[in-house]
Amino acid sequence: MRKKFGIRQILLLVLILICLIVPTFVKTPYMLGIFVTTFYIGCGTLAWSVLGSLTGEISLGHAGFMGLGAYIGALLMNNKHITPWVGMLVAFVVVGLLAACLLAPCFVLSGPYFTLVTIAFAEAFRNLFTNWDYAGKGQGILVPLKEQGMYSMRWISKVPYYYIALIMLIVFYVILRKIDRSKLGYALKTIREDEETANAVGINPFKYKFIATFISAGLIAVVGVFYANYIGYINPDIMKQSQALNYVMPAIIGGIGSITGPLLGAIILTPLSEFLSATLSHIAGGLNLVVYAVIVIAVILFRPTGIMGWFDHSKFKKKMNDRFDAIDAKLFGKRG
Amino acid sequence: MAELLEIKNLTKNFHGLKAVSDVSFTVEKGSITGMIGSNGAGKTTVFNMISGVLTPTSGSIIYQGKDITGTKACKYTGMGIARTFQIMKPLRNMTVLDNVVSGAIFGRKQLNAVQAREYAAEILEFTGLYDKKDLYPKDMGTPYKKRLEVARALATDPELLLLDEVMAGLNPTETDEAVELFQKINEQGTTILLIEHIMRAVASLCQKVVVMHHGEKITEGTPEQVMNDPYVIEIYLGKEED
Ligand SMILES: Nc1ncnc2c1ncn2[C@@H]1O[C@H](COP(=O)(O)OP(=O)(O)OP(=O)(O)O)[C@@H](O)[C@H]1O
Ligand SMILES: [Mg+2]
Repeated sequence: MRKKFGIRQILLLVLILICLIVPTFVKTPYMLGIFVTTFYIGCGTLAWSVLGSLTGEISLGHAGFMGLGAYIGALLMNNKHITPWVGMLVAFVVVGLLAACLLAPCFVLSGPYFTLVTIAFAEAFRNLFTNWDYAGKGQGILVPLKEQGMYSMRWISKVPYYYIALIMLIVFYVILRKIDRSKLGYALKTIREDEETANAVGINPFKYKFIATFISAGLIAVVGVFYANYIGYINPDIMKQSQALNYVMPAIIGGIGSITGPLLGAIILTPLSEFLSATLSHIAGGLNLVVYAVIVIAVILFRPTGIMGWFDHSKFKKKMNDRFDAIDAKLFGKRG
Repeated sequence: MAELLEIKNLTKNFHGLKAVSDVSFTVEKGSITGMIGSNGAGKTTVFNMISGVLTPTSGSIIYQGKDITGTKACKYTGMGIARTFQIMKPLRNMTVLDNVVSGAIFGRKQLNAVQAREYAAEILEFTGLYDKKDLYPKDMGTPYKKRLEVARALATDPELLLLDEVMAGLNPTETDEAVELFQKINEQGTTILLIEHIMRAVASLCQKVVVMHHGEKITEGTPEQVMNDPYVIEIYLGKEED
């Protein structure tokens, strides 16, 4: 096991440092916005991955859970003056529990049937909020900018959002890595591979799917609270199933089956789709989406296991590991 | 010797088809007991009931003096009962080591993830899979995949190990190696109940053999007694003729 400090850790630190100083170089709100979007989509993808990658249950209802979180955060702030930071906590617990309880009867459904149920729930929430006076009906609600600062999580500048999103992404990633290597992670992965085997080694699939749903929906609800404050305006459209694809696509392209894959997918896809819409959409409306779709289809056709799925089994990875080990040996002397 | 497992009048119907009818036998603590019978005799169905995958239509399963009939499938490793599947079920996108860690972590030993990884490595060493620990199941041949099934079950630290045709498809040398492995497992105190078609393996491993045919137990005894039983000979020879 490689636990010691080495070149990999150094590279990671450098990467984080670069991320930390990006706002001092990138000044335009547009560019900074792309970073923020990438980070929070990355968070959403990681949250989705707890169910999608680790447990193998494909949800297309996560936009609904994110929307619920967004509404909880915004309504608490607007109507009760409760800070979004507490809102994040409330959203995590409430949405996590709600999703787990609603989906629990559907855990016996496999594959596409489970997916259909998640779509149905998200759609139900969207309709509920479209008709709910307290939540501003179809017009949605504004999160006003009357007070700036940490308490309200509202700023005119995008820089604070940049750092919050970055930290959130790092925290989410660390949480997922921890889960991946824990007892919970082994339970989820075993269930994903074969539920009968899971039972046979002593895993209660129901219990662990409940926990996974709780964490997955709860985490994306936290992203929702961030989103509401960052954008400053939410309406029921954010619960649309098409919005859920923002979190599913990166996971599939990056590689379901690992934690790094979905993160990598988000880091590649989000800027790519921004770039395409900036460069192509004025040539012909929707052209950017066509190109995006073609790229996604190409990856799925040629690398069905995603980028990381390919990488994990490639010679390239082995070469890179050998190179890193060699550098480690040179820098720190021979160890273990 | 005391009885570890007692099967009493076990019956299973599938929509009118009597897959298992009124089967009774015992498994002595510390023994290796075999179960033979032609295809479709109901052997796997008996295993599925002993491991909670199926609920018996009637009859009971007594384990360590307690009636465990109908207990949920995920509770068995906690009680010390582990099984393999006739149709291999490797965890495909997990390494050989992680396959076994899964068994170790949720078995009787109540290990945490770190301890489970260490214990899994020991089990891999014991079952001769250690040098393959970083491979994926698909990268190994059938004999190793079968071994992996056994290793995962063994990692749960069972008192009673149920093996469903884990030697099928092995050549004679591999079969001998497998026989040796099961003897080793048994010597460490694990009771084994195994389904097997390979008579040579059954004869060298089992103290007692239960013979099933068309859902019924037709006889039981030492391997020698069973193989000299005229009815058993008729069934087996009859099978070879057609
Ligand atoms: N889940 C099920 N539903 C319906 N019928 C079943 C089911 N499982 C088994 N059967 C039937 O029950 C009978 C006994 O099957 P079983 O798998 O127990 O036989 P077996 O002795 O293990 O045979 P083999 O040596 O081929 O593995 C067969 O006729 C089979 O088709
Ligand atoms: Mg069978």
